[in-house]
This record gives sequence, C-alpha cells and structure tokens, in this order.
Amino acid sequence: MPTFVKVIARILLSHLRQWPLRTFLTIIGVSLGVSASVAVRTANVDVLRSFEQAVLTVAGPTTLEVSGDETGLDEQILPSVRTVSGVTSASPVILQTAVRMNENQPGQAIQVIGLDLLEEFHTRGFQVNQAATENQLLSMIDPQAVYLGDALATEWKVSVGDHIDLLIGTGHLSCRVAGILRGQSARRSSWERMAVMDIAAAQVAFGMVGKVDRIDLVTDAHVPVEEIGATIRAILPPHMTSERPANRTSQVEQMLRAFRLNLTVLSWVGLLVGMFLIYNTMAFSVAQRRREIGIYRAIGMTQSRVAFLFLVEAGLYGFLGGILGSAAGMALAQELITLLSRTISDLYVPVGTGGSGLLWTDQFWRIVVEGIMIGCVVSMIGAIGPSLDASRTTTVRALAPGDYEASQQVRAGALAVLGLALLVVAGLLSWPGPIGGVPVLGYAATLCLLAGLACLAPIGVAGWRRHRYVGREFGARGVMRAIAVEHAARNPGRNGVTVSAFMVGLAIMIGVLVMVRSFRHTVEIWVTDTVLADLVVAPSMWLRGTEIGTMGRSLPSGWMSILSSVPDVAAVDSYRDVRIEVKGQRVAVVSRDLRLHAQWSRYLVRSGDSSEQLNRAADIDGLLVSEVLANRLEVHEGSTLEVMTPSGPRRFPIVAVFYDYSTDGGKLLMDRALYQSLWHDDLVTVFPVYLRDGTNLDRVRERMTELLSASTDGGLPPLIISNVELRKEILDIFDRTFFLTYVLETIAVVIAMLGIVNTLITSVLERRREFSTLRAIGGSATQIRQLVLWEAAYLGTVGIVLGLIGGGLLSLLLIKVINRQSFGWTIQIIVPIGSLIQAVSLAAVATLVAGYFPARWAARQPIVEGLREE
Amino acid sequence: MVTLKHLHKSYARGEAMVTALQDVNLEIKHGEFCSFVGPSGCGKSTLLNLVAGLDMPTSGEIVLDGRSTTNLTSFEWTKIRRDTIGIVFQAFHLVHGLTAEENIALPLMLRGDQGRDISKRVDEMLERVGMTHRRQHRPAELSGGEQQRVAIARALAHRPRLLLADEPTGNIDSHQGADIMALIRDLATSGGQTVLLVTHSSQAAQMSDYTWTIRDGQLISRTPRKAGLVASW
Repeated sequence: MPTFVKVIARILLSHLRQWPLRTFLTIIGVSLGVSASVAVRTANVDVLRSFEQAVLTVAGPTTLEVSGDETGLDEQILPSVRTVSGVTSASPVILQTAVRMNENQPGQAIQVIGLDLLEEFHTRGFQVNQAATENQLLSMIDPQAVYLGDALATEWKVSVGDHIDLLIGTGHLSCRVAGILRGQSARRSSWERMAVMDIAAAQVAFGMVGKVDRIDLVTDAHVPVEEIGATIRAILPPHMTSERPANRTSQVEQMLRAFRLNLTVLSWVGLLVGMFLIYNTMAFSVAQRRREIGIYRAIGMTQSRVAFLFLVEAGLYGFLGGILGSAAGMALAQELITLLSRTISDLYVPVGTGGSGLLWTDQFWRIVVEGIMIGCVVSMIGAIGPSLDASRTTTVRALAPGDYEASQQVRAGALAVLGLALLVVAGLLSWPGPIGGVPVLGYAATLCLLAGLACLAPIGVAGWRRHRYVGREFGARGVMRAIAVEHAARNPGRNGVTVSAFMVGLAIMIGVLVMVRSFRHTVEIWVTDTVLADLVVAPSMWLRGTEIGTMGRSLPSGWMSILSSVPDVAAVDSYRDVRIEVKGQRVAVVSRDLRLHAQWSRYLVRSGDSSEQLNRAADIDGLLVSEVLANRLEVHEGSTLEVMTPSGPRRFPIVAVFYDYSTDGGKLLMDRALYQSLWHDDLVTVFPVYLRDGTNLDRVRERMTELLSASTDGGLPPLIISNVELRKEILDIFDRTFFLTYVLETIAVVIAMLGIVNTLITSVLERRREFSTLRAIGGSATQIRQLVLWEAAYLGTVGIVLGLIGGGLLSLLLIKVINRQSFGWTIQIIVPIGSLIQAVSLAAVATLVAGYFPARWAARQPIVEGLREE
Repeated sequence: MVTLKHLHKSYARGEAMVTALQDVNLEIKHGEFCSFVGPSGCGKSTLLNLVAGLDMPTSGEIVLDGRSTTNLTSFEWTKIRRDTIGIVFQAFHLVHGLTAEENIALPLMLRGDQGRDISKRVDEMLERVGMTHRRQHRPAELSGGEQQRVAIARALAHRPRLLLADEPTGNIDSHQGADIMALIRDLATSGGQTVLLVTHSSQAAQMSDYTWTIRDGQLISRTPRKAGLVASW
C-alpha cells in the first residue's frame, strides 16, 4: 500500500473514532436517505418487473398479440388471423381475475389464464405435476378443472384433487385442482402464482362465450414481426391492435410515468437533506481540524491532498451509510412493493403484489452497489464545499486559533443575495410548460426555491443577534435564552446549514401537506357535487379496483329491471366504464343514461350548465371530456375527437369539458345508447340508484340484496353502497395513495432531526468549557440543559419560519406547476390551518426532542474536565 | 470559614490511580487571605476545585461556614457557589459571545436577580476594576489583563464570602500581574472576603496573609507574610 494511502487511512480512522456518536448519527442520516431512495427505486422496478414477468411468462413463445378493448374480441376472427402468411400458430387466450373464497370470505385475487390446453399444454413454458391416477386428457378439458400455481397451492395448502371456490364476477365456481403448475426452469416463475383453465371452461366461467381477451400468435422467425403485424392489422376491425407482448409493459410504464417520477423525486428529498447533514458534519470536521490542517500543510501536504482527505472522509460516511441504507432500503422495499402494488392496482392496472423476486435474485448486488454509490456520491457532493474550504486554508491562519466562523459570517450577506436571486430564478422557471410531458423546469424551480431558502438561512440565523442584556428583566431563564440565541447567531455559517436541512425537510412536509390537503379538499367538493346517487349497486369486489379484473367489475344489464322494481326506487342509471386507447392514450370510456343523469345528478363542467350539456350530448351523440384528457389531447368545447370504436372510427363533437379526479388517464363520457350501438357491450359496471325522498335506505338496501342474491349464482351478494359510504371509500383510496408520500416525508424530516442533534452535540462538545464556566459561577445543571434547549429552539424557530415560507411557495409549485404538468388536474388551493399547526407543533417538538439528549449530556459533563479544555 | 478534614483525592489515569491530595487538614478563618504554592501537579488546583464543589473528594470532609458539604447534592453546591463562592481562573473563562458587562452580570442573572439591581451592581463592579470604558467590549477585544479584571469583577459581583483564585496571573505579563494581585487584595479586603489563592508565583503569594506549600498532595509548611512585602510588589 502506498505510504500516502496508509497515512490517509490512519488519519481517517482517527477522525471517525474521535467523535463516535457524531460519526454514528451522520452514517445513520446518510443511510436513511439512501434507504428511501433504494426502497422506492427497487419497489418501482419490482412492481413493473413483476408485471413484465407475468406478461412475458404467459406469452411464452408468442411474438404478436392481437387484442381489442376490455370488452374482449370475437373468436370468429381467429380463422382469418391463422391464414395470414407468416403466422405459425394462433391461440385464443382469456386473461381474467378470480378471487378465492375462503370460508365464504373473499380472499386473494389471482390471475386465471384460459388456454387451449390440448394444443398448448407443452408450449407455454410451464410444467404440471399431475396425479398418476388422473386421466390427463379428460382432466384438461373438464370445465371445472383448474391448474394451480405451485406457490398458491402451497400457500392455500391444497393439492391435486382438492376443490377450491372461486368468485368470478358476480358468480361462483367450484373448481377441482387438476395439477400443480411450475415454471420449466429452476428459477421463480410467474406461473407459480397463476391458475390455468381450458379456454372453453374459462369462456363459460367468465361469461365470455364466443369471446376471447386476446389471440397469441407465433410467427415465422424468418419473416419480420412488424411485417406480419401490418398484414394482420389490415384484416382486423379498426379498434383491435396487434403488438409485441413486451409493448404492454412499456404501455404500463408510460401510464405510470408521472406517478413513478413524482415518487422517485420525493424519495430523493431524503438524499438532499442527507447532503446538508454531510455538509454540516464535514464543515465541523474542518473547523475542528484547522490546526491539524495547518500542520499537514506545514509538513508538505498539498492543497489538493487536503481536499482529497476530507472528500474521502465524506466518501467513507457515504460508503458505510450506503451499506446500511441498502439493507434498510431493501427491507423497506418489501413493504413498499405491497403498498405500491395496491395503489397502482387501485388507480391504474392490476400488477399483482410484486412477485418478481427481484430483491433476492440477480438484482441483489446491483441494488447494494447502487446504494453504496448513491451514498458515496451524495456524501462527496455534500462535502465539496468544506473540503475546498479546508484546502484553501493558509498555514499561518490554520495554526492560529480559528477564525473560521468569522469568514463564514462575511459570506452570509452574499449568500442572502444569491438566495434572493435563486428565488427569482425559481419564479421564472415555473412559467414554461412541461418538456416531453415531464415538468422538468418545475422540478428545477423546486430545487432553486429550496436552494434559495437554504442560502437565506445563515442571514436568518444571524438576524436576531445582539441586544443588550444588562438592565433588562431577564430572570434566570431569560439569561440562558439570551446566551443561547447569542451563541447560535454567532455561528450563522454552520448553524445555517443545520437550519437549511431542517427547513428543506419541513418545507417539503408543509408543501406536500398543503398540496395533499388542497387536493383532498378539491376531491371532496367534486365527490359532494357529483356523487349524488343514494345507492350504488356494484360487483361484490368492486372496491378492490383493477385487481379484480374486467369481469370482476361487470354486472349483467338484466339487474336494471330488478332494481327498478324495488319499491321507493325513483331511478336507476347504468354506468359502464371500459378502457380504450385514444391517440395513444389509455382512456376510460364512461357511458350512462345522460338524460337521466342530467335530471338526478351533475358533472362539474368547465363552462355552462351540467344538465344542459348532458342533454345536449345525448341529443347530438356528443362527448363530454375530462379536463385531464382535454389538456392532453388539446381538445376543447366545440372541437371534435376521433375515437376508434369496434364499429369503426367515429368522430364525436365535444360538448363539454368536466373536472374529474377519479383517474389521471382521462375520461370520455357518452350516452349509454350511443355506447351500446358502437361497442355492442351490454354489461354494466355499477348501477347508481336514486331513491324517493324520505325513503328508508337500509330497508331498500336489504330488499335489493335479497332480490339480487338470487341472481348471483352462489357468489357473494353484490355490494350495495350508500352515498356516504362511497364518498368515504373514495377518500380512503385517496388517503391510501398518499400514505407513501407521508412515509418518504417522514424519512426526510427524521434526517433533518438528526442534523439538529448532530449540530447540538458538536456545539456542546465545542462549548464544554463555556458550560463548565457557567456551572462554576453559579449556573445549575438545569440551566445548562435550558441553554442547549434554547439553542435548539432558536435554530428550530428559524427553520420553522423558513420552512413555512418554503412550504407555502413549494405548495404553489406542486399544485400549479408540477401536479398540473404531470397529471393535468386543477386543484383548488386551501390553507389547512389545523394541519399546519400540527406540522409546526410536530417540528417544534421534534426540535426539542433532538435538543433534549445533547442538553442532558451537556448538563452531566464533569465541571473540572470542562474547565481544562483548550 | 473553610475547614478541610482528612481530605483525600485520587484519580484513575488509565489503569493507574494517581493521588492528587492526601490527608489534607486545614482551617481558614473568615477574612483571611491564604495562598497555596507548589510545583505543577502538586494538587493546588485540585484543592481549590474541591473547595468550590467543582470536583468531589475521594474521602474526607469539607466544611464551609460551619456546614459540612459531604452529602450535598449538585444543586445544593450550585446554590453555595451562587451565594458564597466566587472563582477567578487562570484562563479567565469569560463567555466569548457576551460583553464585559454581560459577563459580570452573569452570576447575578443565573441566580435570578432582576434588571435594575443587576445594572447597579455591574456599574459598581466595572468602576471598581477600572473597566467602565470597556463595558461594551467582548473578551476577544480585551487584553489579558483586562479580561482578568472583568473575571475578577464577575467573581465578586454577587458578593461572595469566599473568593477562590486559581493562578490569576498565570496568563498575563508581570506588570499586569501585579495590578491584578493588588486589585484582588484591595477588593477582598474591602469586601471582607476570605481568599484562597493558588499560584506559582512566590511574589503573588507574598500578597497573602500566609502561604501553604504543597508537595505531592500534602501540605508541607505554612509561612506567614513578611511585613512590608505587599506594598513592594
């Protein structure tokens, strides 16, 4: 080992050992930042990978998929696809979801694949353990036979020959386990968490006789897939597509882009705050080692090597923090994957619960290495300033008792000017639109805003400095407060960094809080104004979102007459919601009886009267378009929109644009009669029911349950949810969606708290002599404790004031720029006073808790040893 | 005023035990000016720290004003320091962020005295140590001698009956040292304070009524002041 490296290693180890508690806190801070970033990245990748694996596993050798919309496609298309040149095989596929019933309680949702088992039993990439006594051929086509994934069979403790109960849509199916599925390799396979049925059985079970969800094609390897795809598209009805299986993943990736990006950026906040923590630690380190640096310089160490020494020290913090952070991040990712899968399934597409096994397979070391690299890079960036400062120290000045803070004070004014300039830049960056659909400049504005406020922190800390103490009525507590403020204000440079870290954490907490509360308030108004049905009759598992599949979210239209026959029912609407593609965007087509809706309920239309617009749309076969979609497709009231329907392309006039917060994918609303004439789909997603005034809601609900249970083929009775319950459920989904946001915010605030603890511990270490002097001249241990706590309170107060300003500005950026550009929603801003008081109180308490331990430690220090300190 | 009975103090230094004081017995009467001399590490400062309650004896008893301090709590010691003891340190130990007048006011503030009383006493002490013109200056802006004057004013601001001075001239030049010693002597005499002075300087020690010599933690000899020496230093 070269001598220089040995020297560096020894110096570094001595540095880390000198203040073990501070070293520990810094490493923990970095590791928390890394853990949030690693967890979100891993969860994001895992959930998508899980989806991709499921797609590719089921696809097997498939090179092209022919699919329509959610209503499925007619199997009559199959023979004509098979005759296309270059198509080696074409297989019908049903891909639906069933829910396992366990002692009459709905349990886990699983994907059920319907395949032509006689043809595909050996080609799809799974193998089956089948009991020797089973007649293989017969069992394959048995309408009640199901092949169950190995992992599911183990979890459910079932084996070949056992029966399982599945809830399919509104119906119920008792199946016999005909075999256990495994992947063909030793690696984990998505087959292990799926069920397979014969296509004919699946068509019956899912009410899709004559229909399939998809046709999987294997094409000639010598003919380009694109060429075959083009030929097939020419013979398909216009609303159908033929794509490579992998395209589905990229479509989902595209759909989730804004959601994932926002989550990722939020996870970086912890790293940003961690960077402040490192800056703080390294600035202290440099300040404490001025003399040491002077000695190194005096005996021949170059400036660059001095800088290198401190950068490596920071890198070491990053390395250790990265290792811990990766481990913690992977543990956190396990939880996040479940949460994220649930949220994505609630809002977008069913993605399973993250079974890719990414964490413990080939990605393990990549995650660890990434975590370590993130830790090192973030730490070294945070240490650049102090390291350069260390390298620029002149030997004479370093060997003299340090005036490091004096030079920092001079810079506080200049930093404040820079801070104001950055705030102006942030304002300017918030004006332009998104770049490629991503609010790049909005994020840059956020960074400038936080950096600007961070630059204002030193002058904020120094701002309250100096006033005369003598002659004022202080009392014993007052003097400790005065000394504390004086001391904190005397060091604006380093305390400014602590305050900045705290401010960033708090500003983000407040900014996100205001955004979420405003968003929730907007959604509440929207729900109150638009969800007016007294009861909603929905499939039993409807509240589980997309997880339960398209059939699980469908009801027979025949229920309309049953519901209408219930006494006290004034009107029944039939609401259908299917996903289609419009100009490359995944869009929900909502159809309902617009005239009935105009009479009983409303949409929050951007201009004009809801009833008039709804009636007009019904009259002229027009559309109402959600605000998000209107922005994305750049259409407006009075323009037209071409939509590919199963009956061919059709251009619709846009009658109105309405506010909608149920999906960020956008919505088209049309009259049910028009929808049915174009889509030939008779199913209903939910029935909104309006009751006569003064009706006993519970009695009507009981009667409906009675009547409808008879039509559910032994399945669960439908969900009949009241208006109040539905509004609560919508807000619960909203809260669940933002739970992850709160987790990431909390991590950032905890790191900021560590920054305060770190600062106070260092402050206590440096001021042992001062504390001992105070004790010697009559100060009590309690007063010393008060002194440190007052200092914490002062730093906390400055941080809170800046955090409130930053949070307010940040909330504007989040609502008016980032959210608007990412998702397209209009959010009404509210100032949630109660929540803000809670957040500020929490921050204040956290500051005092952070100050308590250093304070207690300071009060317990031996007086004599403190007086001996140089 | 101060009675020490079989006082013993030992420290652990690494694995070894170091004896700083052994079997020290002493009685200092009210109003006496007593100095302690001896080589470095002989236990002089340890003795002062024990009397001030800044450190605890390993065994033995300290009696202040007829009251045994053996079982006093930390806070009781704090109260004794607030009311009875003033300390002057070799390194001044002024609080850097505070001005001269604020440093002097500090012990009064710490015990909860109120603004007008504090102002009056601070003005008085500044005048007595000749620092009125420097009252708004901070320690870094004062010379060593000036800092020690402020420290003395601080030590006497709350009218303690016992003044402990640990090498008060150790960090200043001899000319300023003489002034400082004269100041301590004058103020203590006029205030009727008992003074315990630890010093290396035999000249400084000659300002006291008598001098104890300490060696290896033990009191070796007691020498009374020679007549006329105070005036000549």
